[in-house]
Amino acid sequence: MSLLQSPAVDTQRRQLIKAAAATAVAGAGTALAFPAIAQAKPFAGVKLRGAAYQHGFFNILRKYIPEFEQQTGMAVDLQLSAFPVYNQQADLELSSGGSAWDFCNVTFILAARWVAAGLLANLSDFAADRKLTSASWNPDDFVKGAQLPYLDKAGKAYGFAWEGGAMLMGMSRTDLMKKRGVEAPQTFDELMKVCEAVHGQDGVTGFVSSNLHHWFLPPYIHGFGGDLFANPPADIKPTLDSAAAVQATAFYSTLLSKYSPQGVLGYTEDQARAALIGGRSNIFIHSSSWVTAMLTSPESKVKDTARVVRMPAGPRGDFPAANSQGLGIPKNAKNKEAAWEFIKWALSPELTARIVKDTGHPSICRRSVIESAEYKRINTINGQDIGKLYLEVLEQPGKTRNYMAYRTVKEFPLVGDAVNKAVERVVSGQAPAADAMKTAQEAALGSLRRAGAKV
Amino acid sequence: MSARKVSYEAQRRRFVRMAMAPSLLFLLVVAGLPTVFLLVTSLTPGALVNPGSLGDFSEPLRNYRLLGSDERFVGSLGVQARLSVYTVVLQVLLGTGLGLLVHSGQERWKSLRHLFVIPMVLPPIVVAVIWKLIYTPDISPIYQAARMLGVTLPALTTHVDFALWSIVIADTWEWAPFTFLMVLAALQTLPAEYVEAARMDGADAWRVFGHIVLPYIAPVLLVCTLFRLIDSIKAFPLIFLLTGGGPGSVTEVTNYYAYLVAFNFGELGYSSAITVVLLAATVLISWGAMRVSRNAGGAE
Repeated sequence: MSLLQSPAVDTQRRQLIKAAAATAVAGAGTALAFPAIAQAKPFAGVKLRGAAYQHGFFNILRKYIPEFEQQTGMAVDLQLSAFPVYNQQADLELSSGGSAWDFCNVTFILAARWVAAGLLANLSDFAADRKLTSASWNPDDFVKGAQLPYLDKAGKAYGFAWEGGAMLMGMSRTDLMKKRGVEAPQTFDELMKVCEAVHGQDGVTGFVSSNLHHWFLPPYIHGFGGDLFANPPADIKPTLDSAAAVQATAFYSTLLSKYSPQGVLGYTEDQARAALIGGRSNIFIHSSSWVTAMLTSPESKVKDTARVVRMPAGPRGDFPAANSQGLGIPKNAKNKEAAWEFIKWALSPELTARIVKDTGHPSICRRSVIESAEYKRINTINGQDIGKLYLEVLEQPGKTRNYMAYRTVKEFPLVGDAVNKAVERVVSGQAPAADAMKTAQEAALGSLRRAGAKV
Repeated sequence: MSARKVSYEAQRRRFVRMAMAPSLLFLLVVAGLPTVFLLVTSLTPGALVNPGSLGDFSEPLRNYRLLGSDERFVGSLGVQARLSVYTVVLQVLLGTGLGLLVHSGQERWKSLRHLFVIPMVLPPIVVAVIWKLIYTPDISPIYQAARMLGVTLPALTTHVDFALWSIVIADTWEWAPFTFLMVLAALQTLPAEYVEAARMDGADAWRVFGHIVLPYIAPVLLVCTLFRLIDSIKAFPLIFLLTGGGPGSVTEVTNYYAYLVAFNFGELGYSSAITVVLLAATVLISWGAMRVSRNAGGAE
């Protein structure tokens, strides 16, 4: 047989044998070296399971996760669901004491409930432990207002904020406003006048909103000097029938019934945003990420005429709503330290700064990054320092009295639902504001008592 | 011989029992156990904000006692009743009309029969999305056409007078085909000689319909009515997507309220009690439907 082999084939055979031998040696070397590598990665082999809802931030984060896996040796399985679906899953998972997740999103509207019920791990202890967390991670760097929902009465943190929502006012058609001789409104009265001036001009409605009235109405209630509860979170007796709450409801409902698009009661946030960036509605007061789309979205038809400013102040002061979403660890998570490693990495100043630089994602909660030159450069749009506005609003509840404390009441969803119904009843003409809020007050009291609250 | 026959019967019964056992076991697991869980949960104050409350049976009838004074629950029963009556009446009338048209023998109607069935076979959420688009003033072709004619239509799903009707119309569109199919099937078994004899006796079309066709399809119409009545209690996707129960509580039916109580307020125990009441109502209607259906079959 060998006589029949050509020299070329023989050469190839020898090369093949050499290559195989080299691979075998290299493989043996790798096998010998592996324990050393494994020792360098204390979490090697850990499969970390996390859950959150569909959000641009997590889609961005996913691109960086392979780096984390490379550094730590963990495998991260991050499941994302639609917002309401996630909240339902999380509510059940946490309240039933499940251990399916190692980390999860701590949803703002449910945070108080979860923290009060002791369903989450105390992250302050992790952050204070120098074996687990270096001083440079600095938990105090998170904007205080954004951290409020995740703190218990003793000030311990059960989540760290990955996103902040700061209520700002977007105006899509300042050209029309100029034509009608009105400026950006700074008070509630001026807001109504601007809406009146612009509404119906050039097919534009003066105002637009969506169906989350329990988010949009409270700043007006605060602005007129009221609140949703007597003294939240200590005294949670609803105060929906107070003079201020009635006045605010009448005011906000007028904006919806007189100056908003037809069918606004059925508007989702996406519909309202579309009306704003399409220039069909002039004013939308919502979290910055919704209104700044006028300036940043490729679909925006109003980039040249749009402005973003602070929302107007009421006769009793300026109380723009602020919220945040956090990352936390379920109390019964199996891999708490590994989960903390992930949260530390995901919300580190370094990665946060990289995310801002790489993607322009603005709704972060690290003060050091928000105040950086890079953040300011990226978030100065049409000459407007949106980042500065964002930080101002996000910080406000932490600087003044915490007027956002109403959202830290674990039974808030019951009261929020009563508020939604009341606004719908007023706007649809079923009842005047005073009657609707009186009914809402009774409904809220009834629901709270049924749920076991002492009010 | 007799002993052998009894033995054979016993064997047959045993075989049937054995053959049915897996199905019954499966049914018990997928339907029976959740129902038992629902009943048990309804006897607790079970709330997500109070861990452990799902095991608290200290006041088992509390939820049921509270239901009577819950205006929203009582109101939702009224909305449910109105929705059920409107939709069932419209669906039976429309389905019967379509069935008669297609059965009339005219080719143009015959050729449309497959078209009429489409809404019924679409997934309910798709139907809801279709009607969401139709009812949204910004994008709806109906609103655009009305605007071109200088007519301003009200926003149907958020108007207090039209919101429930917007659900009724969409639900009728989706489920009238059910009656249509049933009526058409019944009409196709109607002996032609009955109608021919009546016509030879000089009966006009109305008399033929009133004295022959209607009595003949009456049992089917009854069954359709009862089936649709039971199904109307399950109207959820349309309400979820079109109105969210609003404006206010104008379109908030009982099962939607149960959903809100469970998943927005986290009160699983109370929501279970609402669901048990709904379940009892459905069982009652189903039992009635079966009796009526049996009697109608017997009468026929």
